[in-house]
Amino acid sequence: MGGQRAQVIDDREDRHPPGGVAIPDGPPPELVFKRRLRPVQVAHELWAARELVRALAERDLRARYKQAVLGFAWAVLTPLALCAIFTLVFHRAVKIETGAVPYTLFAYVGLIVWQFFSNTMNQGALSLANNLSLLNKVYCPREVFPLATMLVATVDMAIGVGVLGLMFLVFWTAPAATFLWALPLLLIQFAFTYGIALILSVAVVYLRDVRHLLPIITQMGVFATPVAYPLAKIPHRLQEIYVGVNPLGAVIEGYRKALLYGEAPDGRMTLIAAASSVVFLVGGYLFFKKLETGIADVA
Amino acid sequence: MSRDYPPGTIRTQQVWKRFRADQQRMLLRDRVEQAARRLRGDRGEDWRWALRDINLHIEPGESVGLIGSNGSGKSTLLKMLTRVMYPYAGIIDVRGRIGALIEIRAGIHPDLTGRENIYLFGALLGLKRREVAGRFDDIVEFARLGGAIDRQVKFYSSGMQMRLGFAVAAYLEPHVLLVDEVLAVGDAVFQQRCLDRMREVAEQGTTIVFVSHDLPAVQSICRRGVWLEQGTVRVDAGIKDALAGYRDSIEAQSEASARVGEPLALLKYEVRAGSGEETLHTDEPVTVELTLAGDYRGDATLHLGVSEGTSSPIFQISHEIRLTGGDHRVACVIPRLPLPRGRYTLWTGVYSIGKTDGGTLMSWHSAGQFDVFGPMLDTPPRAVVLAAPVFVPHQWEE
Repeated sequence: MGGQRAQVIDDREDRHPPGGVAIPDGPPPELVFKRRLRPVQVAHELWAARELVRALAERDLRARYKQAVLGFAWAVLTPLALCAIFTLVFHRAVKIETGAVPYTLFAYVGLIVWQFFSNTMNQGALSLANNLSLLNKVYCPREVFPLATMLVATVDMAIGVGVLGLMFLVFWTAPAATFLWALPLLLIQFAFTYGIALILSVAVVYLRDVRHLLPIITQMGVFATPVAYPLAKIPHRLQEIYVGVNPLGAVIEGYRKALLYGEAPDGRMTLIAAASSVVFLVGGYLFFKKLETGIADVA
Repeated sequence: MSRDYPPGTIRTQQVWKRFRADQQRMLLRDRVEQAARRLRGDRGEDWRWALRDINLHIEPGESVGLIGSNGSGKSTLLKMLTRVMYPYAGIIDVRGRIGALIEIRAGIHPDLTGRENIYLFGALLGLKRREVAGRFDDIVEFARLGGAIDRQVKFYSSGMQMRLGFAVAAYLEPHVLLVDEVLAVGDAVFQQRCLDRMREVAEQGTTIVFVSHDLPAVQSICRRGVWLEQGTVRVDAGIKDALAGYRDSIEAQSEASARVGEPLALLKYEVRAGSGEETLHTDEPVTVELTLAGDYRGDATLHLGVSEGTSSPIFQISHEIRLTGGDHRVACVIPRLPLPRGRYTLWTGVYSIGKTDGGTLMSWHSAGQFDVFGPMLDTPPRAVVLAAPVFVPHQWEE
């Protein structure tokens, strides 16, 4: 069947197909490939890959704790250890004022958010680079790899939030009634974190240098973000710009107000953070999709 | 343009792909230099075409072998059909579910068990969890894992790891199956199982594109052959014609290698029909006559072989000779030539006996080609690979 309408091209010298039409020096310009993103198609593809996201996250979680005796306790021990250090340094030595709220609770809320961000950023940035040989063979929407690392970080965060519940018991306080404000803040947190992970993951594939930037960003970020101190420590006239660049500042501040102080988050700051995180997410996604087409070429 | 093709159709229209040729070293210094060049308006980029103007139309159910030497663009084309790689220009349209029969050891996580890895692969290849569960027993059976399935993969032998990665891909049920060099995987038994699986899939009406350097295997599966050379389609024809052309070109290249500075040289050779006819015929007498030239004196072994499109000969015969310096003529008579119709290559080499046992006097090389006329070989069942063409005189009785 196959060979019937086939044509034999045998012209050792000049390699022209039959009929004498020469192969041109280059393709017709109107046929040059351009990446077109159709939002509906992209969303559909991502939805179809939801099982893959789950399977990848499951792989990481299972593998991470397979030979670790303490297992999932490690998801809690890291923020708790940092929390203890912060309490000693910032509360006892620097004397950060937190009002009626125990400093340990105050710092722990910030650390949960920061830990989530730094886990997603560090693991997500390497999620493509570590799977390059796979990306060279199997097709799937590439954004699932950073997404899966964010899912892993979300599981860790959920455990951290469980521990926060225990801490409320220890300090004999209850979360404030305004805690529902945490939900929109969570969306901002996810959008910003995923946007950063998308940008870094594809950047690492092209520029290995970015890998070496990660520890620096992590080290500086924990102090540049109001984790150990309140947002108010940042000069008032700079706060809006600051939140625009680092929406996590407003997110952490908002969580504290909603969960610990029983106040609604600052509307203006939250809106700036929301707008900024949407820019990071959409910009990061477009950046990712633009560079994604060349991954197999440089891998 | 937007005609509706049935699932299993593959179309490429004027597909071009290029790679950077200058991407060897990218230190900061190079980048600074590059940036400086760019400021001067010189892009300074060196591109090399990997594929040029590829136009293919493959119907649902066809089985196509992609052949060609290293660097001819086979794998690049296959990667673009898998959608892993994007073309520089042109249209690629693959209808229906695409399955790649590839060895995905890359995704194996050593700390997970075989069972956990199977589900992970399934997800990577686009299978739903329950689809994997439904085929789980087949997959384990195919990979011959048995009781090891709940053991961590790091305790598997490397063969078991390969088979595991491969088995999941084998049980996809795609409209289009893309196969890249799978036969390097596993032992002979496993290779045959892979070929059998491909035959089954082909019989179910799945389109197959098979890339391999194992030409007999390609011939055993595919009905159509596309021979790529330097990024363009050289031949698109029935598999036999495509392979014949490709084999000829390989042999034409191997002939070119000249040996200098060896003690012996092949002055001339002749392959002639024993009957005195012009042409050689299957199952009839043939005489091979060689004339060696060189100063070497002493005993030596002369080897003579015949190959078809590969470097490994179909058969090899040898003979002890005593060289006395000067030209040496030797003839070999084969009373019944066991080769079916085709074009073959004659190989020869001479090695010393005695003090310097096995020393090379004239290294093993192809001397030239000859054509044989006679019957074609009978076609074996699909997925059965003939190691080499041999004509066996026979009679059937019923």
